Amino acid sequence: MNVNDILTAVLVLIGAPIIGCLAAGIDRKLTARLQGRVGPPLLQPYYDVKKLLSKDNMIVNESQNLYVVVYVAFMILSLLMLVFKADILMIIFVYTISSIALIVGGMSTGSPYARIGSSREIMAILSYEPVLILYALAIYLVTGTFKLSAVLDASTPLLMYTPLIFIAMLFVLNIKLKKSPFDYSTSHHAHQELVKGMLTEYSGPGLAGIEIGHFYEYVFLTGLIFVFWTVNPLIGVLISIAAFLLVIVIDNITARVYWQWMLKLSWTLLLAISIVNIAFLYITKPTLV
Amino acid sequence: MMENTVMLLITVPILFSLLFLVLGKSLYKILAWAFFIFGTVFSVLLVMDGTGRFEITGSNFAMIENVVLILEVLVILFIFFVSAKYKNWPTLGLAVIVAAISAYSYMNVAAIESASFNIDQFSQVMVLIVNIVGTAIILFATGYMDEYEEHRHLNRQKTFYFTMSFFIAAMNGLVMVDTLGWLYLFWELTTLCSFVLISYNMDEEGINNGFRALALNLVGGVSFAIAIIILSTKFNISTLSGIGTEAASAAVVALPVALLCIAGFAKSAQMPFHSWLLGAMVAPTPVSALLHSSTMVNAGVYIIVKLVPAYANTSLGTAIAVYGSFTFVMCSALALSQRNAKRVLAYSTIANLGLIIASAGIGTPLAVAAAIMLILFHAISKALLFLCTGEIEHTIGSRDIEDMSGLIKKAPLLTILAALGMVSMLLPPFGVLLTKWVSMQAASQNPIVIVFLVLGSALTTVYYAKWLGTIMSSTMDKNVVTHKKPETYFPLSFLGSAIVVTSILVFAIYDYFIRPQVETLLNAAPVISGQAGQFASEIGAFAYAAIFVVLALALLIYVATKNMFTPRKSSYYMCGENNLEMDRLMFRNGLCSYDKSNVSNIYLENTFGESKLTTIGYAISIILIVIALAGGVL
Repeated sequence: MNVNDILTAVLVLIGAPIIGCLAAGIDRKLTARLQGRVGPPLLQPYYDVKKLLSKDNMIVNESQNLYVVVYVAFMILSLLMLVFKADILMIIFVYTISSIALIVGGMSTGSPYARIGSSREIMAILSYEPVLILYALAIYLVTGTFKLSAVLDASTPLLMYTPLIFIAMLFVLNIKLKKSPFDYSTSHHAHQELVKGMLTEYSGPGLAGIEIGHFYEYVFLTGLIFVFWTVNPLIGVLISIAAFLLVIVIDNITARVYWQWMLKLSWTLLLAISIVNIAFLYITKPTLV
Repeated sequence: MMENTVMLLITVPILFSLLFLVLGKSLYKILAWAFFIFGTVFSVLLVMDGTGRFEITGSNFAMIENVVLILEVLVILFIFFVSAKYKNWPTLGLAVIVAAISAYSYMNVAAIESASFNIDQFSQVMVLIVNIVGTAIILFATGYMDEYEEHRHLNRQKTFYFTMSFFIAAMNGLVMVDTLGWLYLFWELTTLCSFVLISYNMDEEGINNGFRALALNLVGGVSFAIAIIILSTKFNISTLSGIGTEAASAAVVALPVALLCIAGFAKSAQMPFHSWLLGAMVAPTPVSALLHSSTMVNAGVYIIVKLVPAYANTSLGTAIAVYGSFTFVMCSALALSQRNAKRVLAYSTIANLGLIIASAGIGTPLAVAAAIMLILFHAISKALLFLCTGEIEHTIGSRDIEDMSGLIKKAPLLTILAALGMVSMLLPPFGVLLTKWVSMQAASQNPIVIVFLVLGSALTTVYYAKWLGTIMSSTMDKNVVTHKKPETYFPLSFLGSAIVVTSILVFAIYDYFIRPQVETLLNAAPVISGQAGQFASEIGAFAYAAIFVVLALALLIYVATKNMFTPRKSSYYMCGENNLEMDRLMFRNGLCSYDKSNVSNIYLENTFGESKLTTIGYAISIILIVIALAGGVL
C-alpha cells in the first residue's frame, strides 16, 4: 500500500459522504418539486445529521447501536473495495454483512414495527441477492476474472454485453435505496404504516449513524452502475446519475406494493432476464478487451 | 509409529465404549473428559506422524480378517434380528439382499492377502474432525443426557455412550483404511450405530425413523457392495486409492464409481435419500450433532471426494456436480419454510453436503480444495449450532424458532455462541463462506451449477438471517435461569473459538492439508496464494484479514464512542398505547385491556413448503441419478 492508495482511501472516506449527502439532498428537492412543494434546502440531510448527533441517545437496549457501527464500517469497506477494484463477488459478500447488520439491529430492538420491517428487508435480500451475484458472474464471464480491475482496464464497456443485467440492476438499485414501489421495510417518506419500519427504535446519534451509512450506500450502489461503463468515466457517471434520477422519479410515480409482489417480480422476470443474459455470454463467449 | 497411532485410534474408542458399558453413571463425566483429551492428543499425534501408507500382512492380517468376517456376519444377523423383531419387512428384504451379496462375494471374489491403511492429508483432516469435534460432542452429552432422560422417563445411557464411542472407532477406521472390504465393514457399522441411536427413545416414531435410516443406508450399502465386487472381479482393484490410479482410464471404472457415489449420496442424505436425516432429528441432540451433521454424513462426501480422480472432467463428474448443486438449492429452499430449528439445521446440512458434492463433481483443483475445506468448516459450525439448539431447548423448552425471540436476554453467552455459529454459516470472513466463495468461483464454468449455487446461497442467507435476528431480539419476557454446566459450556465455547481460529488460520490450513491432498488426487494444485491476508486464486481474492480488522475496528469504535452519547433507556414505541402501569410492552386494545404484540418471521410455506417441493425434489433428483448412472455405463 503506497501513499497514493492511502490518499485515495482518505478521499473516499471524506468525499463519499459529501456526495451521498448531496444526492440525498437532490432526492428530497426533486421529490418535493414532483409533489408541488418547495422542498428543503439542498443541504437538509446534512443539517438533519448534525441535529441528530446533538440529540439524546435514546435506546431500548444496550447493543442496538453496535449494529449501526458494524453497518457503517462494512458499508465503508465495501465502498473501499469497489474503489480499489477488488473481487466483485467478495464485495457483494461484504455488502451483505452491512445489510444483515442493519436487519439484526432492527430486530434486536424487539419492537413489533421494527421486526416486521426487518422481516420484509430479509425478503428484499432474497429478491436482490441472486441478481447481484449474477452481475458478478457476468463480469467474470466477459473478463475471465472476478477482479474489477479487468473491467476498468478494458476498452469496451461492460454494458455492451450485459444490457439485460443492467435493467435487472436498476431494480436492485430501487430495492436497495428503499424507494417506492419497494419501500416497505423502511422509508424516507411519511406514508409508512409501520412507523419507520426497521429503524423505528433508532433516534439521535444511532439514526445519524444510519444516515451517514446511507450516504456511503448511495455512492456504493451508483458505483455498481458506474462499472457498466468505465471506458469513458464521464459517460459512466452520467449513466449512474441517470439511474439514480430514474429511481427517484419511479419513487414518486408509483405506490408501494406487497413484498410478495416484489419477490415474484424478482424470481420470475429479473432472474429470467439475468439468466438469459448469462446464457448469452456462455454461448457467445465474448471477451472484454 | 504411525501404525501404532492408527491402531490406537481404532481400539481405544472401543475400549472407552466398553468402559461406558461397565462403569457407573457417576464416572461418565470423567470418562468423557478423558476421551476428549485422548481424541485431541491422538488425532494431533497422527497429523504429526505425517502421511504414508502401511500394509498388514501375514498372521496379523489373517487374524484381523477373521474378526472382520465375524463382524460382518454379526452386522447382518443383527439387522435380521431387529427387522424381524419389529416386523419391518422392507429392511428384512434389504438384509436378505445384503446377505446374498456378501455370500456371493465370499465365494467368488478372490481373497485378499493383505490390507492397507492409507493416511493422507484428507484422512488427517477427517480424523481431527471425528476425534476432536466428536469427543467434544460426547462431553457435551454428559451435561445434557440426564435432563433429557428425566423428561422422557428413559434410562438407556449405557447404550447411548457405548454406541457413540463405538461410532467414533468405526468412523476412525473408515477414514484411514484403504482396503475396500474393510472400509465396507466400517461403513455398515456407522449405519448400525446410527440406527441404534435414532431409535434411542424406543417409541414408535423413533423406531420407524430408525428403520427408515437403516433401510435407505442399506440401499447405499448394497450399491457399495456391488461396486466392490465389480472392481475386484473385473479390474482387480481392492483399494480405494487404487480406483483413481490403477485403472487404465477413468471411463472404464465409471459404473462402479457411480455406484460408490450413490452409496455416498445415501450416507450423506442427499435427495432422494434425505428423508432419513430429517427423521433422525427425533434422536437426542448430541446424536444429531455427532452423526447427522458433523461426522457420519461426512463419510459419504469423504468417499465421493476420494473418488475425484476417477471422474474429474468426465460426463459423470458433470452429472454429479449438477446433482449436488440441485440438492443444495432444493434443501436451502426447504429450510426457509421450516420453523423447527432442528429441521432447519437438518436441511442446511443436506444443502451443504450437496455443495461439497457439487464442488467435487466440478473436479478442478480449486473446486476440490473447496470441497475438502467445506467438510472441515461445516463440521465445526454445524456441531456448534446443533449443540446450541439442544441447550436452547433445555433453556426455554422449545425448538421452535419463533419461541427463541428474546433469547439474548435469557441466556446471553449461549445466544452469542449460537449467533457466532450462524454468522459463520452465512457471512465472511468465516471459513464456510470462504469455501462457498471458492466453489462459486470454481463453478462459474458450468452455467447450471452456478445458477443453482447463486439461488441456494441467497436462500441460505435468508433462513439464517431471520433466525439470527430472532435470537438477538430483546423482547422482555420473564427471565429464565440457565444452568451453566462446564460439561455443556466448555464444548460450546471450544467449538466457537475453533470457528474463529480456523477462519483466521485458513491459509495455513489450506497450505498444510488441502494443497498436498489436491496434488495427490489430481496431480495439480490450485493456484492460490496467501499474501496480505488474502486467499487469492487466479480469478479473485477473498480478503478475510481486512474483514477481521474492520470487525475489530467496529467493536473498538463502538466501545470508544459508547460513553460519548450517554444512553437513556426507554421502552419501545407502541403508538402511545403501551400498558404504562405494567411492563410497557403490551398494546392497550379497544376494551382497555392489554394484548401482547406478536410478530412472526416470514416462512413462505406456500412457496417453499415441504408439501410443495418434496415431490419435485424426489422426481428431479432421481432423474439426475439415473442420468449419472447412464453416463457411467455408456
